[in-house]
Amino acid sequence: MNKEKPSRSGSKIFWRSLEEKAQATSTEVGSDVVKATIGLGELNRLNRRNFLTLSGAIGTLAGIEGCIRRPAEKILPYSQTPADVNPGEALHYATVLRRREESVGILATCYEGRPTKLEGNPDHPTSQGGTDLLLQAEILELYDPDRARTPSKGGIEKSYAAFDAMLDDELGRLLGKRGAGLRILSQPTNSPSFMRLRQRVMQRFPEARFHNYAPVNDDNVRAGTSAAFGRPLEVLPRFDQAKVVLALDSDFLMTETGAVQAARQFGAKRHLDSAAGEMNRLYAVEPSLSVTGSNADHRLRLKASAIGEYLKGLAAELAAAGVPIPGLDAAVRGAKVEGIPETWLKAVAKELASHRGESLVVVGSRQPAAVHGLAHAINRALGNSGRTVSYTAPADAGARPSLEDIKALTADMVAGKVDTLIILGGNPVYDAPADLGFGEALNKVNISLAVTSHRNETADRTDWHLPRAHELESWGDQLSRAGRYAIQQPLIAALFDSRSDLDVLAALAASEQRGQALVRETAGERGIAEELAWQHLVQKGADERDAAQIFGGLPIQAGSLAQVLSAPAGGGEGLEAVFLTDNKLFDGRYTNNTWLLELPDPMTRITWDNAALLSPAGAKGLGVNNGDMVRVSAGDASVEMAAWIQPGMADGTVGLPLGWGRRKGGSNFHGAGFDVYPLRKSDAADIVQNVTVEKIRGSYSLSQTQDHDSMEGRPLAVDATLQEYRETPNFGQFASPDMSAGPLWQTQDYSQGQQWGMVIDLNGCIGCSACAVACQAENNVPVVGKEQVAKGREMHWLRLDRYYVGEDENEPEVAYQPIGCQHCEEAPCENVCPVNATSHSPEGLNDIAYNRCIGTRYCMNNCPYKVRRFNFLNFNLDIPETRQMQHNPSVTVRFRGVIEKCSYCVQRIQGARIVASREGREIADGDVVAACQQACPTGAIAFGNINDPNSAVSAKREVDRNYGLLSDVGTRPRTRFLGKIRNPNPEMKG
Amino acid sequence: MQLFPRSLNYLPLALAVGAAGLGVSVTFVFWYYFSPKNLQVGYAPEQPVDYSHKLHAGDLGIDCRYCHANVERSQEAMVPPTQTCMGCHSIVKKDSPKLAALRDSWDSGNPVQWVRVHKLPDHVFFDHSAHLAVGVGCVSCHGRVDQMDVVRLEEPISMGWCLDCHRDPQARLRPKDQITNMTWSGGDGELALAEVNPPEHCSGCHR
Repeated sequence: MNKEKPSRSGSKIFWRSLEEKAQATSTEVGSDVVKATIGLGELNRLNRRNFLTLSGAIGTLAGIEGCIRRPAEKILPYSQTPADVNPGEALHYATVLRRREESVGILATCYEGRPTKLEGNPDHPTSQGGTDLLLQAEILELYDPDRARTPSKGGIEKSYAAFDAMLDDELGRLLGKRGAGLRILSQPTNSPSFMRLRQRVMQRFPEARFHNYAPVNDDNVRAGTSAAFGRPLEVLPRFDQAKVVLALDSDFLMTETGAVQAARQFGAKRHLDSAAGEMNRLYAVEPSLSVTGSNADHRLRLKASAIGEYLKGLAAELAAAGVPIPGLDAAVRGAKVEGIPETWLKAVAKELASHRGESLVVVGSRQPAAVHGLAHAINRALGNSGRTVSYTAPADAGARPSLEDIKALTADMVAGKVDTLIILGGNPVYDAPADLGFGEALNKVNISLAVTSHRNETADRTDWHLPRAHELESWGDQLSRAGRYAIQQPLIAALFDSRSDLDVLAALAASEQRGQALVRETAGERGIAEELAWQHLVQKGADERDAAQIFGGLPIQAGSLAQVLSAPAGGGEGLEAVFLTDNKLFDGRYTNNTWLLELPDPMTRITWDNAALLSPAGAKGLGVNNGDMVRVSAGDASVEMAAWIQPGMADGTVGLPLGWGRRKGGSNFHGAGFDVYPLRKSDAADIVQNVTVEKIRGSYSLSQTQDHDSMEGRPLAVDATLQEYRETPNFGQFASPDMSAGPLWQTQDYSQGQQWGMVIDLNGCIGCSACAVACQAENNVPVVGKEQVAKGREMHWLRLDRYYVGEDENEPEVAYQPIGCQHCEEAPCENVCPVNATSHSPEGLNDIAYNRCIGTRYCMNNCPYKVRRFNFLNFNLDIPETRQMQHNPSVTVRFRGVIEKCSYCVQRIQGARIVASREGREIADGDVVAACQQACPTGAIAFGNINDPNSAVSAKREVDRNYGLLSDVGTRPRTRFLGKIRNPNPEMKG
Repeated sequence: MQLFPRSLNYLPLALAVGAAGLGVSVTFVFWYYFSPKNLQVGYAPEQPVDYSHKLHAGDLGIDCRYCHANVERSQEAMVPPTQTCMGCHSIVKKDSPKLAALRDSWDSGNPVQWVRVHKLPDHVFFDHSAHLAVGVGCVSCHGRVDQMDVVRLEEPISMGWCLDCHRDPQARLRPKDQITNMTWSGGDGELALAEVNPPEHCSGCHR
C-alpha cells in the first residue's frame, strides 16, 4: 500500500526516532507489554479485602447521597456591576507582553474580571494575531500558586509597613551621599515609563547606577551593527520580502527576538494556493537542529565557531559571482572552509547574487559580532538593506550590553562599592555567568533586595524580597523594536500583594504616583494627554504607527569591520559546546510552568527534562545511548547530565539547553532537567571551546512522547519538492487516497447546513507548538507529570508529530504534523462505544458526552489516529484555587475515568452560533476560530463551514495537494492536510 | 421418605414471582423516586432577602427584564446586582427591616448570597439568550414566577425534560414580544419559526 506514489517511490523512509529507525522491521509489541505490566502492578495494590471494604463504603455513601438534595449553591451577584461587565460573557482587553527583546500585542479573554486566555492582537504589528508557546503559557504564570505573597526578610515573612520603613530609612541614608552605592539591576527594558522613572531616580540619586542583565540577550546583534555601522542598532528583517533566506545559527522562527512576527512573515512566503505559486527558499547553517533549521530547504550542520569562516568563504564567492563587498576583499580572503561542501559556497552565492534586493542573510544572537557585521555588509552589497532588512535605534539607547553590565556590577560588588542593591526581576544568582560569582558577591552588599515573582535562587540570597506583580496585573508600557508604543493594562487586581517595577522605581523617585498615573504621564509626554486619546490608546492597545526612525541603507564602515573580521575565530579541533535558548523554558524564567514542562520539546520530544544533545557520531564515539549519564566539563566546571542523541547535530558539538535544573522558587520543577549555567562563563557565554564529555555510571529516565502513538511508518506527513508538486499536483492523495467504496451501513447526509472542517497546511507548520499550548489553555487540558507521560498517559488534545525523513540520520529532513481529532465522518470510535457516549453531530462533529462515558477505552483503542486521551487518574483533583481561576468556564473540567479529545473547540462554535442567533443572522465565515488556529503564527490552520463554497476552509480544501490522513481506511476525516512542499535548489545536489 | 411438604414445590415459582416483583418495585422506586421530577421539583429554599416575585412581577407588573437585564445578551439570566434593587429601594421602603441585608450589601460592597434554585450540572451549558432569541418564554421553564412569594422549582430540568422541548419545539414557541408574558397562550404551533432547529446532539449542550 502507498507504494504507488508516482515520482517519489515508497523507498522514502519516515522515522521518528533512532530506535525506531534501527528497528524498522521489528514489531513494537515489546514496549506495550512493558506498559501493561506497569498497569497491573498498580492494580495489585488493591487486594480483594480492600476492594470489598471500599465497595461497601461506596454503596452506603451512594445510598445516603441519593436521598439527600445536592448541597445548596450560592449565587453572588455584584453589589455594583462594573462598567461593561456582562456576567457570563467574555470581554477582551488589549495589552502587551514582552517576548525576549520584543513587545507583542495581546488580546486577553476575561470572564468577570478573570483573564483565562491570551491571543495575539491583530492590530499590533509584531503579533498580527499570532502568538507563540510562551505567550500562550504566560497566563499560567499569572495564576502560579507558588508566587511569593508577602515581602520577606531572610525568608521570614514581613509586612509592607516593615518593608517601607526599612526602605525609607535606607533611602534617607542614601540621600545623604547622593545615592553613592545604590545600584539597581533590572532586565533590559523597552518601557518608556521605566526609562522616565529611571531618569527621576537618577535626579534624586545622581551617584546611583542602573544595570541591566538578561542571560539570553541581543548583545551580539548590537555589537554586530556597531562593527558594521558604528552604532548599536536593532535589526528588523522582513521575511515577507525575501525570496531567499540564509539563516546562520539563527533560530528566527522560534527563539530569536521577534520570532512571532518573523514566523508570520515567513509563513506568508510559504503559502501556496496552487502548483503555479512561488515560495521562498531557506538555507540554514547551524550547529544544533533548531526549529528554523528543521524548516530549511537546505541545512548544513556546522560547528558554531566555523560559521564565521563559512560566511567569509561565501563573501569571497559572492565577489566571484559579481557581488563584491566593498572594502572587505582582503578580510574575507583565505577563509578556512575545508570540509564545507562546495555547493554551499558556490551555489548559495549564485542564488544570493541572482536575488539582489530580495534575499536576506540573518545571523543568530549566539554568533559573535564579526559574523553579524559581515552579514550586514553582505546584505548591503546585495541591495537588501532597506528592502528585506532595516534598522532602528534601540528603545533603550544608552543601555550597556548585558554581559558587560553584570560584569561591571559584580566587580563593584566584590570591591565593596555597592551599598544597596535592588534587583528588579530576573534571577542572576541562577543565570549570571558562573565565573562572576554573583551569589557570593551579594554577601558583600550592605542591603540587597530582590523584587521577583517567586522566591527564586536570587531572592533566597538577598536580604529582602518583595513579590513582583505579573505583567497581566500591573500597568506598564512598551515600545516594539520598530517603535510601536503600546500600553500594558492590568486585567485583574493583583492576586497577591505585589509591586511592579514601575511602582518600586516610583517609590525610589519619591513620586506619589503609582500604576496608571505613571504610565499616563509618560503617554502625556508622548502627546497622548487628552482623556479620549488615552482611552483610545488603551482600547486599541497600541499606537497607530511606529515611532522609531527606520534606517534602510546605512553606510558600512568597512575599515573597522575588516579589523573585527581579521581577529582569529575561536574555533579549534576540540569538542565545542553551544548554549541553546530552550524552546520551552527560554532562559529558565518559565521553569515552574507545568504546561511548558510537559510539552514535548519540538525537536527532541522530551518532556519534563533537558539533556546534553550529541550528534549520532559523537554519541557513538563516546559509547553513549539516549538517557546515559555524561559529565560535561569546561575548564574547572562540570555538569553531570543525561545525554540525548539528536540527529542533525554538528559533529564535535554538544548542545546544552539553558533554563533547567532550578532549585528554588517553585514546586513543579524539582528534579526536572539539568542546570548547565555552571558551564557558562563571561568570556564564553554562547560557545565554549575545548569541552570534554565523558560517559559516567548510570542512566537517567527521560519521559518523551516520541515513540508514543507511532504511526507505523506509513507516509502520513506527506511531502514533495516544488518540482514534484508541479509534475503531480495531487501527490498527497496518491500517498493517501480517499476510499472509493462507501461503508456497508447507511451513511449520513452531510450536504446540508453547517458542516465543520479543518485544513492544516503542512507547508505553513513550523513545529513551534504554540497550537498545542493554546489548546491546553482553551480546553482545560490537565497536566499529568513525568511518570504518567512515561506510561503514555499524556493528555494533550493536540499533539505535534515530528518525523525525520530520509536515510541520513545526520542530515534529516523534518516534517511536522499537528494531530488532533480528525472528526471522521465514519468514525471508528463511535461504532465501538457501548454506551453511546461518543456520537456524531449533524454538523459533522465527533461529540463526546463526558458524563455518559464509562471508561471502557474501546474508542481509544479503535482510533487509528490515537488522539483520544483517557483520564487514568483524577488529574484535576486538588488543584490550587489560583490555578482553577485559569479554567475556561465554557469547557467542562473532566473527572477520572472518562475519555476526552479535541472537540474542534465546540464551545467556540456554540458561542458563535448563539451570538449569531441573538443578532438574528447566520454564522458568517470567520466567526468561529479554533484555539489552535488563532494561536498559529503562520496561519497554517483554516477552520470553518465546508458547505459554504466561499469560506476560507473550502478554498483550502480545493487546493490540489490536500489529503486526508489515513483516508485509505475509509474514515473520511474532516481534518484535511495540505502536503508539505520543499523548495530545494537543484544546483545544491552533489 | 418425604422430608419436605408438598406445598414446597411451589417455592421456586413463589421465589421467581417474588424476585420479579422485587425487581419491578426496585426499578420503580429508582425510576420514580430518584428522578429529578420527584427529587428536584418543589425546591424552594429560604433566601437571604424575603423577596417576593409575586409582589414585584405579579402585583406590580414589573417586567422580568427590568431586573434580569442581561437575559437577552448573556448565557446568564443574571441575578440582579444590589444596585438594581437600590434603584427603587433607596426611595421606596428605604427603612424596611426586611431590606436590611440589601442595605448591608450596598454599604459594604459584599454580594447578597442568594441560594440557587435552578441548578444545572456543571457539564451542561445552558444559554438564556439563545432560548429567548427563538421565542421560548420565561414561564416555560420557570413556571408562574409571578405567583410565587418564594421562588420554587417548577420543572424537573432534567435532560429528558429538556429534550421533550428540543424534539418538539413548535408548540412551545411564542412571539418574541410575549416572552416575559406569564399568561400568554395561543401557542398553536403556527408561530414557530422555520429556522428554529434546536440541537439534539451531545455537543449542543455538553462541551
